[in-house]
Amino acid sequence: MSINPVINKLENGIFKHRAFVLAFFALTTVVLLFQATQLKLDAAFTKNIPLNHEYMQTYLKHQKDFGGANNILISVCDAEGDIFNEPFFDALKGVHDQLFFIPGVDRILVKSLFSPSTRFVEVVEDGFAGGPVIPANFRPDEQGLSVVKGNIEKAGIVGRMVADDYSCSMVTASLMEIDPSTGEKLDTLSIAEQLENDIRAQYENDRITVHVIGFAKMVGDVANGAKGVVVFFAIAIAITAIMVFFFCRSITLTLLPISCSLIAVIWQMGMLSSLGFGIDPMSILVPFLVFAIGVSHGVQMINSVVKQVRTGINCKEGAQNSFRALLIPGGVALLSDTIGFITLLSIDIGIIRELAITASLGVAMIILTNLVLLPVLISYMKLENKPLKASKRGGMHKSDVWHAMAALATRGPATVILVLTAGLYVFGLYHAQNMKIGELHAGAPSLHENSRYNQDTFLITDRYAISVDYISVIVETTPDACTSYDNLDVIDRFQWQLENVQGVQSAVSLASIAKIVNSGYNEGNPKWRVLSRNQQTLVQSIARVPTSSGLLNRDCSVMPVILFLEDHKAATITRVVDKVKAVASELNNDNLTFKLASGPVGVMAATNEAVEAAQLPMMLYVYGAVIILCLVSFKSVRATISVVLPLYIVSTLAQGVMTGLDIGLTVSTLPVIALGVGIGVDYGIYILSTMNARLKEGDSVEQAYFAALQERGSAVLLTGVTLAIGVSTWFFSALKFQVDMGILLTFMFLVNMLAAIIVLPAIAAFLWPKPKKDEKKQ
Amino acid sequence: MKSVIAAIVSCALASQAYAASQPMTAMQAPLASKSLLLDIENVEQAFMVVVGERGHILKSFDGEHWEQLAVPVQSTLTAVTFVDLKYGWAVGHDNTILATTDGGKNWEVQQFLPEREKPLLDVVFKDRDNGVAIGAYGQFFRTVDGGKNWSEEFHSEFLHEEDVEYLNELKLEDEEAYLDERASILPHFNKMVMDGRTSYLVGEVGLIAKSNDFGKTWQQFDSIYEGSFFDIERTQQGNLLTAGLRGNVFRSLRNGTPWQHIDTGSTSLVNDIVLTSDDRLLLLGNNGTLLISEDDGQRFSARPQPDGKALISGTWYRNKLVAVSEDGIKTITIAK
Repeated sequence: MSINPVINKLENGIFKHRAFVLAFFALTTVVLLFQATQLKLDAAFTKNIPLNHEYMQTYLKHQKDFGGANNILISVCDAEGDIFNEPFFDALKGVHDQLFFIPGVDRILVKSLFSPSTRFVEVVEDGFAGGPVIPANFRPDEQGLSVVKGNIEKAGIVGRMVADDYSCSMVTASLMEIDPSTGEKLDTLSIAEQLENDIRAQYENDRITVHVIGFAKMVGDVANGAKGVVVFFAIAIAITAIMVFFFCRSITLTLLPISCSLIAVIWQMGMLSSLGFGIDPMSILVPFLVFAIGVSHGVQMINSVVKQVRTGINCKEGAQNSFRALLIPGGVALLSDTIGFITLLSIDIGIIRELAITASLGVAMIILTNLVLLPVLISYMKLENKPLKASKRGGMHKSDVWHAMAALATRGPATVILVLTAGLYVFGLYHAQNMKIGELHAGAPSLHENSRYNQDTFLITDRYAISVDYISVIVETTPDACTSYDNLDVIDRFQWQLENVQGVQSAVSLASIAKIVNSGYNEGNPKWRVLSRNQQTLVQSIARVPTSSGLLNRDCSVMPVILFLEDHKAATITRVVDKVKAVASELNNDNLTFKLASGPVGVMAATNEAVEAAQLPMMLYVYGAVIILCLVSFKSVRATISVVLPLYIVSTLAQGVMTGLDIGLTVSTLPVIALGVGIGVDYGIYILSTMNARLKEGDSVEQAYFAALQERGSAVLLTGVTLAIGVSTWFFSALKFQVDMGILLTFMFLVNMLAAIIVLPAIAAFLWPKPKKDEKKQ
Repeated sequence: MKSVIAAIVSCALASQAYAASQPMTAMQAPLASKSLLLDIENVEQAFMVVVGERGHILKSFDGEHWEQLAVPVQSTLTAVTFVDLKYGWAVGHDNTILATTDGGKNWEVQQFLPEREKPLLDVVFKDRDNGVAIGAYGQFFRTVDGGKNWSEEFHSEFLHEEDVEYLNELKLEDEEAYLDERASILPHFNKMVMDGRTSYLVGEVGLIAKSNDFGKTWQQFDSIYEGSFFDIERTQQGNLLTAGLRGNVFRSLRNGTPWQHIDTGSTSLVNDIVLTSDDRLLLLGNNGTLLISEDDGQRFSARPQPDGKALISGTWYRNKLVAVSEDGIKTITIAK
């Protein structure tokens, strides 16, 4: 191999200057550890959305006029079920004022009963009468409260600002991207903290409850949940350490791969911090993953060294030989992991890109720490009898198992395996077809259903007529378009068709409000609730709708139609978006177009579409990268097929599992598929790198496989189990998306491992012809 | 306020030209029975027909299952009437008049004049031939052939004296301006009710009038209130009750005593008076107002609808109130 001289040079260089290498690693670790302590949790709304998606372009274009999807809703509730009492109004006012003064809150858009823009209008004999719902001279006594109650009814805000049953009242606000007081990017997490400390903690008591929802609060809760990750990390380290110890029966040998993997994590976090990145609560699992991958490769390394030492050479030589033997397969495996992660960059969603960077950085660090630092460290060790005995004792036992397993690589059993695998594949494929894109559950999907945040969401959707799940369809026209009956009539007809879509709870637009105002101008007579064909009358109605209503911009060239949905399940979103497209194509005309989309569900729709669109290319890139790496390192098409085919089957099965467990393809689960393939390929590469060498020497598939098992079998098993354990601790996470990722990754790690030792040899049995030499030997 | 609107309308009429005014067929919609519905007609206790926004007409035999009928317009329909199980008419915005001769299966457009920018608000028929449709700004159409031809009448008896003079002067000066002004000078005619040979008409600015010749000539009552009236009914005991803006209800005994204001305790607009078969009176109004009287309208007790949605028109159908509201059809049981 032409690569050998390079490896030789590396080997000599590294092992001749061990002290220097160690000093380098020690120094770097200290520096990066310091950097890592500076690493901050970092969450931003825009990172979670596919900014270049067509819908999001519309969203960003009109964000200034209509606010965005980054809103805060605070429902203040009275436990006794009636808001008309003094303590409640005091609390409501307090919440309003506190929210108003949180930096980053768009003060103009803070709305509650107490905001001056909350007004009522009533029809009297000689026209309209009206005023603020809470009058300037308001006193929370019986009389004052009954006036307010009357005004609330006249203002028509029951269901929006006041709960249907008068048990709660809402304070809403919109968040800005930039904090105007500092000029810096808004610190979402600090806002979440202030919402919790300055508002909820202060005003919630036995009588008053405070329910806060909105992206900032959700991220804050996710970040809090994410902090629990530290515990899982500790548990994962402990379990991994025990596993490794049982494998090698040496405390030092156990500590080394674990320490090296931790160093990789430190480097990764330090580098992130140095590069100016924070870590997003959504990708807090990546260090975990890096640790698990690190340990799995470390285990291959100590396995190899122990086996070398058993042949009687000293530790340093053993380490050197292992370095030489593993640099290629280990490097290729890690490289394919890295590439698996890097392919995620092709997805135009900030948070996935960040995950790609974070993870690929981490895996790249493992190449240094576990393929270089680890053998150097081991070379200082004195490995003698103890581990030797242990592995000998185990080895006897194991080799029987390996012999039995090697039979899998003969055509008889292989046929059975392949038929079973094909059956599983068809089964998986069938279910994979039904895999849903997007969130499948109500509430914030990142959090558990019984989390405070989701309970608050359910309370608000339950008690108010509004839903936090809304999508705005933006109507773009020409200036003053709202003064034309024809334009508003088109909007009105659009709205009606959408209101009739299953899953749409209600809808509002300038057209529907103008109709109500028109009825108001006609003494409140419902028979006049129409759009007037008369331009002056129409203008008169529209003039009463302020731009702060969010239903029109300053020159009324842009008007959203806001659709409130029952939920944000993928099926609902698809149904509504499809209908919007269909009706829009029917109603769009020369001076008026309906454009998707703004509002939280608009963002979700875009994200779903981006995720769906990214799925295929991402898979192509990942598999492309894996195939190329295999071809390069094995120089064999057969070897490549043997490695990649089981991977592909497992990916399909994983999609089937997603359908079965009601896990949708989302921003958090999409990366898992790439990660699963990238990491899953490791096993195959390790097994096949030994097999391939043997096969080239003329061994039968069975013999080659037996050799591979002897050399790497236990390490591969251990690797799979270690990785699976590392991620399976996530099952207990406070965060729903971590649970989902944990399930999927555990599945992919374990099943990929099984596929590598069961399906891979079975495929190989058919790809390589039985050599004559084989018959002779037998 | 009226004169302002009148001025706006007249100048708009002069300035606007209409391009296409072909009616569009109403869309079949799952939510039609939950849309804004404005009138309900109880057709001989056999079936009910409701009309409302977007050309919605629905029919039901049991008050529970409603079938949306095919309608050739999307205009908001404000009133519907049937003379028997087959012949019916519906009127509404865009000066629409629709007719059916088969109990609602098919509707034919008898009039569609969106360029007038004025709605019709009620329709009454004496028999299959003779009917009247009334509407905003004193519009008054009559047919004697079941709606094949509709002719407009201008009821100058509702003009104030000074308006008569003003119109006469204008007519001499500028014929066109005169016609414009005339088209919007009368008050809205909100509802016409037949009571035997007598017809009653209520409308804007406290308009109450009666006619003994099916609306050819009208005698106005003395003004008792400056707001609008939306309904007038003869009660089971033969007294007259009229209701209107801001919960204003007046009662006049059968012998023609002066109108007496009834305190309803409500300030919501009353849209409709419903007579029950068990001698009660119901007032349906905005903001979920439902007022019940058990003493022929002397006193009312409130039974507000919790959703606060306007109840617009109702009928007593098989011992229940079936009402249309701003969010569709509701069946309300009112225990005695």
